[in-house]
Formats: sequence, structure tokens, C-alpha cells
Amino acid sequence: MPGPLRTSEPSRVETDWPTLLQDNLRTGGQGIRAAKTPDHVRWHVPMGCSVRSAPVLRAGVLYVTSMAGNLHAIDVEKGRQKWQFQAADHIHSTPSLSVHKVLFGCDSGKVYAVDCNSGKSLWEASAVAEVWTSPVIRDGVAYFGSADSRVYAVDVDTGLKRWTRELGGRVYSTAYVGEPHLYVGCGDGKVYCLDVSSGRTEWSTPTGNGIDSSPAVSGDTVLIGSEDFFFYALDANTGSVRWKYETGLGISSSPAVNEDLAVVGSKDGFLYALEIQSGQLRWKVQISDPVTAPPVISSGVVCIQAGGMQAFDIATGKLVWRAGLGGAVQSAPVLTGDAIYVATNDGEVYALE
Amino acid sequence: MNHRGCGGHREIVRTCTRPSPSEQVYPVKAALSSLVNEKYEAPKAPLKWPEAWRSLSGTFHPLGVTFMDRRTFVKASCLGSASLFLDGLDPKALGDVTMPEPPPIDIVHGLRPAKSALGMPGLFPGRVVEVSDSNSIVRNRVSQPVVRAMIERGMKELTGERSVAAAWTKFVEPSDIVGIKINPSGAPACCSSPEIVREIINGVQSAGVPVGNIVIYDRYEYQIDIGSYQALLPPGVRVVGIQDGLVDAGYDANVYCQATFFGEWENRSYMASIVAHGLTKIINVPTMKDHSASGVTGCLKNLGYGTFNNVARSHRSPYSFTDPLIGVMCSVEPLRSKAVLHIMDGMRQVWHGGPLTQVQDFIYQAGILYFGTDPVAIDTVELEAIEKKRREEGVPSVWEHDADSITSNSHEFYHDPKKNLFYRRPGHIASAGKLGLGIADLKRIDHGRIRLG
Repeated sequence: MPGPLRTSEPSRVETDWPTLLQDNLRTGGQGIRAAKTPDHVRWHVPMGCSVRSAPVLRAGVLYVTSMAGNLHAIDVEKGRQKWQFQAADHIHSTPSLSVHKVLFGCDSGKVYAVDCNSGKSLWEASAVAEVWTSPVIRDGVAYFGSADSRVYAVDVDTGLKRWTRELGGRVYSTAYVGEPHLYVGCGDGKVYCLDVSSGRTEWSTPTGNGIDSSPAVSGDTVLIGSEDFFFYALDANTGSVRWKYETGLGISSSPAVNEDLAVVGSKDGFLYALEIQSGQLRWKVQISDPVTAPPVISSGVVCIQAGGMQAFDIATGKLVWRAGLGGAVQSAPVLTGDAIYVATNDGEVYALE
Repeated sequence: MNHRGCGGHREIVRTCTRPSPSEQVYPVKAALSSLVNEKYEAPKAPLKWPEAWRSLSGTFHPLGVTFMDRRTFVKASCLGSASLFLDGLDPKALGDVTMPEPPPIDIVHGLRPAKSALGMPGLFPGRVVEVSDSNSIVRNRVSQPVVRAMIERGMKELTGERSVAAAWTKFVEPSDIVGIKINPSGAPACCSSPEIVREIINGVQSAGVPVGNIVIYDRYEYQIDIGSYQALLPPGVRVVGIQDGLVDAGYDANVYCQATFFGEWENRSYMASIVAHGLTKIINVPTMKDHSASGVTGCLKNLGYGTFNNVARSHRSPYSFTDPLIGVMCSVEPLRSKAVLHIMDGMRQVWHGGPLTQVQDFIYQAGILYFGTDPVAIDTVELEAIEKKRREEGVPSVWEHDADSITSNSHEFYHDPKKNLFYRRPGHIASAGKLGLGIADLKRIDHGRIRLG
């Protein structure tokens, strides 16, 4: 295990991470050079209030939203704030980046588009209730769900609505947007497949309780957790259940996937690695806290913010390293070639090297 | 007395007869009159609740909200030094450890709503309806249809009404802003079950309350988030965390309890603004848990310590002043008047490690709900149930004050039920009874038991 974290200023190679779990495929840190065991803090920035969302990164700027309603742009070179934008209410939403815009939802029900360079508002789109989900941007359209039970598709340039679709419950699950379908979980306990161009419901599959987890897709399999304690693998074309795996409590964590494994946390305090094809357990490891945040897979390790920041060997589940940082409810780290950026529930943002 | 009907065997067992109307007055009000200096001033202009509510637009930034002209000032001058404790300082406490005397507690009330019989101890002092069903929790999952039947039966039994809607109408009306005070502090292992909260929402709506007038709330937003309540509750219901865990916003600087327990620099605890100003009625949904400092966390602790901030200062290992602070907080207006109904979630019963434990070894899937308007009576019954379970498990009473049981090692505490962080003080229940919040004498409690399956 490493010693106490210390501060220094070495050189780095940064990799963009423009949306939740890096990209729309939610590949996390895969393909990025293996995240080494960090042994020091390059910098840390106190936010002054809790951070529930995950940071995103582009061109050397880290974007972090906070419960005080601020979007912070932080220069990762020095850990200095470039600008901050004040929204109308708390922010739980992880931001997403589109060219020169950063988009995020707010508890006021608005989704904001803010200029990445100036920090000025470009447009606002309104839902009826809070937006905790992360806007997912694809082909000039941003897709997000709201506690008003609707999924919205808005134009990224203007914020004008393309379509809305009302589901049967609150939407706190961040959609997985592919072509031609969008997949999302819902508080009514169903997993929905919507047509991305119209919002039409293609299929829906019920689970035994509400869904807080966000889906991932591997091949033609949709993977998602439910508060009914089960982790589901669904046929992406029909919604039929291929397999489900029972954990000890509800699952609000969102899965990370690589070629053959889905890794997901459960509120029972375990992290599970399941074979996507069969649902067989490859390994599970006990975390000291309930796991509600999404894990992130990098080359060789899976990282999770629960009981501090921890990394486990992807093949065996053995602990590789652990940093005693504050926990997270829904935040996930940003992994780059040489650094790991972490936002914690106690309001600190760290650059680990 | 046995009842049979659809849905299986139903059994009602009463441990005593219902108190007569003459017994339903606050039992020790007179005894406290020489200690409590109460002055009530009428507000100059009545507050229009729905408008005030809507103007708050999602978050509560109460500091600066003042109602000085109708402040009620009560100085409960050293509640601990006189009758509350001289006639029964933890009378059941076991062991030779001498507990320190509690300090004086000053309280400043907020606006008391118009006089009503609904405030604690409410319409049915001393009455506790226990409904159990072994199918209500199976493999640690709460069954929505089973708890629906339990709540419907419990509400009808509590009120004597024949319809469920009529039962709910006893407590709420369409113009109310109804707060449902959950307990998410043990989430996810033991917290107010979303399934039960959903059914309470249905019940409140059956009385004509619009869904937008229903608020699920607790102090810590992140605990609500861990419980996934936001995602699991019906659209339109507001879910409010009073504070985000770092910023103590959301409290009214003019309504507070003040006492110095351990020399702390901030010796006030302020009432949540949503309680002081936003809500007109509160339905309390505590869980059934042992508590390392107060013995149990039930109706009273969920209300008192879930409404005021800065409460952890009342216990510093190994001592606790949760008695009398919990009861005193529950007596502060308008909390006292607004809390009209208590439904204790005993689906899971934590018999050691509360309030935060995640260790399933000490969480018994009891499948019970308690209904009442008297939080003292319900907590008295709950305390007996937890004591019974602890006896069955061969661990000391929560009244035990044994120096050898005290540990400062949290891992040891969470995994050894013979260890504890504090000398527990469950006497807060009796103290609350002496403040007129309900009946703490088990012999005078009308405890009805209904078994549905």
C-alpha cells in the first residue's frame, strides 16, 4: 500500500473525458494507458459544499458541478479555477461537453448550456422538475431525463425541444444513447427502449422495483441494476431478460463494462464482476461502505469511489491501491494517462498522480 | 379477541383497556407548570401556507425569515434538575455508573398553529396499533401489496373508521402541505421503506391532498440519495433534504433549543425551516432501531433530532444527554402541533448498532408496523420490543450502564452487541411523557396487535 499522499508538479499527458464514464459507450478508462498507483496529490480544490456528480475533462480543463449550484472550470495544470457559473439550484447532474459547450441539469428543472471558454450561459432548456441525469450528447442532440417522468431530446445548438416522452415514473437514470435506440431506467421499475429520432417506445421491461441505475450496453445486451436487488442483462432488440443476478440490496450503481465483464456495485457493500455472456460471477469484493457510485474500468483495474477511492485488479478483484479520500454517492473518477481526478461528497476535488 | 376475514388469520390482542377520556389529558402538565414559563403571543397576520410554500421554490433558505412578533418564549429552566429527574432519573438504569446532570435547556418556540387536537399526543393518546404480516418482508424485500393491506388495516383500526379515506381524513385535509418525515439515516440497510412511504402518499392523496402538496423530507440530502427515495417515489411528490451535509442552511435562526452539554462553542440547535414555516402537517415514519446514545431511535428521536440541527453535540462518549433533549425538542412549537400521525416502520428491527449500522447480523426482519398519534406510547412499545429481542439474543439491556461495555472502537461496536459507544439513555421517552407528549406507562398504553398473515 502506498504511503501518505503528497504534493508535487510532474509533467502529464491528459486524455479528454467529455461525459459520464468518458464517452457515450461508457468505456471509462479502457484504452488509456494503465492508471498507475497514485502516490501523491498534485493539487486539491475545496468546493465549499458537497459534490454528487462526476467531473469531466477536456483540453486541460476539468468541469465540476456542486450542490451549491455552481459549475466550476478548473485548470488541471495548476488546480486553479478559471471561472464558475452559478445555476438556480443544487446540481446533481454530471456535465457533458459538446465542442465549446458544457451542458448539465439542475434541481430547478433547467438544463444549462454554458460556453466552455467564457463561462457564460448560452441557452437554457426547461423540464417540469429536477434534472439529476447527465445530458447525453449525440449527433447534435442532448438527451436527458427528469423527475417529471419525461425524457427530453433538445437541440444542442439552441436548446429547443426535438421531442419529449413521458414514462411511468421519475427518471434519475442517465440514458444510454445509441443508434437507433436509447435505453433508460425509470422509477416505475421499467427499462425503456426509445427510438432516438422520435422518442417512441420500442419496448419496456419491468423489474421488481424502481430504477436509479444508468444502463450500459455491450454488443446487443443492455445491462442495468434495479432496486429489486437484481442486476439485469436484457436483449437490446426485444427487452427480454437474458439473465439476472441477485445481490444483497438494491443497485443504484451503474455498471462499467469491458469485452466480457460487467462490474457493478450494490448497496449491500459489494462490488461484483459478472460475465456478460452468462451472468456468472467472476469475483466479488467487499467494500467498507454501500456502493452507489459507478465503477470505472481502466486497463487492468477497476476503480470505485466507495469507502474512499479504491482500485481492484480486474482479473481477480484483489485490491491494488486505496486512497483514503471522502466517499461519493454518484461520482466517478476521471482517469487519464498520468492522473486521476476525483470529486468527493465532502466537497473536495483532487488530482492524484 | 380473534377476528377472521379475508386475507387469512387476524388476531387482536390488547394488553390493557383504552384509557378513559379523563386519562387522556397530558399526564404531568401540572407537575411541570412551576418549571415552564410559557407565553404565547398571537401572530399579527396569519401566514398563508400554500403561498409561502410555493415561494420557497425548491430549497429552503430560512436564515433571516423572522416571526419575532409571534415568538413564543419558553424557558424550560433546568428541566433536569427538578421533577423530571428527581422523580425518576433513568429509574430503570442498571449499573453503578453515575450520570452527569443535564444542563438547563432554553427553548424558543416558533409559530404555533391554530389550536387543534391533532398535535402530540394527538387524537388517540396512549393508543398503539401493531400490525404484523410475515409476508411483508421476504428475503429482505418489502412487499408493496402486503404493506398496503397492513397500512389500510392499521389506519382503520387506529381511527375506528370504516373506510381508509375516512381514516386519513382524520389527520389531513386538501389544503394541507403534508410533510412525511422519513428516517434515511441507516440507509440502505435500515431506513424508512420506500414501499411504505408510497402507501402513505397514496393515503394522504385519498384525503384529497394534491400530490404537489406532499413533501418527503429529512435533514441530510445525501442519506436520502443513498436510499434512492428520489427515484422510487411517485412523480410530483417533492423530496427535500434540509442540508447537503456541509452547509447548515435550511434552519430558522429564531426557533431553537439552547444548552451547553460538553462546553461546545455552538450551543444552539435550530429548527428546520420547512417544519417551522413550510408544512402544515407532519406524518412521522421512523424506523425501529436501537440507538447507541438514546437506547432507541423511534418516533421521538426521528422527529426531534431530524428537525433540529447540531444535535450530535448531545452525546460525547461515554455520556449522553439525549435524555431530556429529544423530548424537549419534540415539545417545541410548531413541531409539536404539526406532528399528527406516526407510522413506525418495523419491517426491519435493528437490535444493535443503530442508528447507522449496515451489519445484517443485527437487523431482524420483523415485518411490523406501529400506528398511533402518541409518539411516547409507540416508542415505549418499541423499546420493549427491542429489549425483548436483545434478551433473546443474550445481550445486555439498553438500560445497562456497565463501564466494561464502553468502547471507542467503532468496528468493535458494530460487530459486538455487548459493546457500546455510550451509556444509553432511553429515559428520554419517559421525559417526553412528562412534557405532555404522550403516555410512557406501559400499563396505561392501549396496545392492539393485529396479525394479517
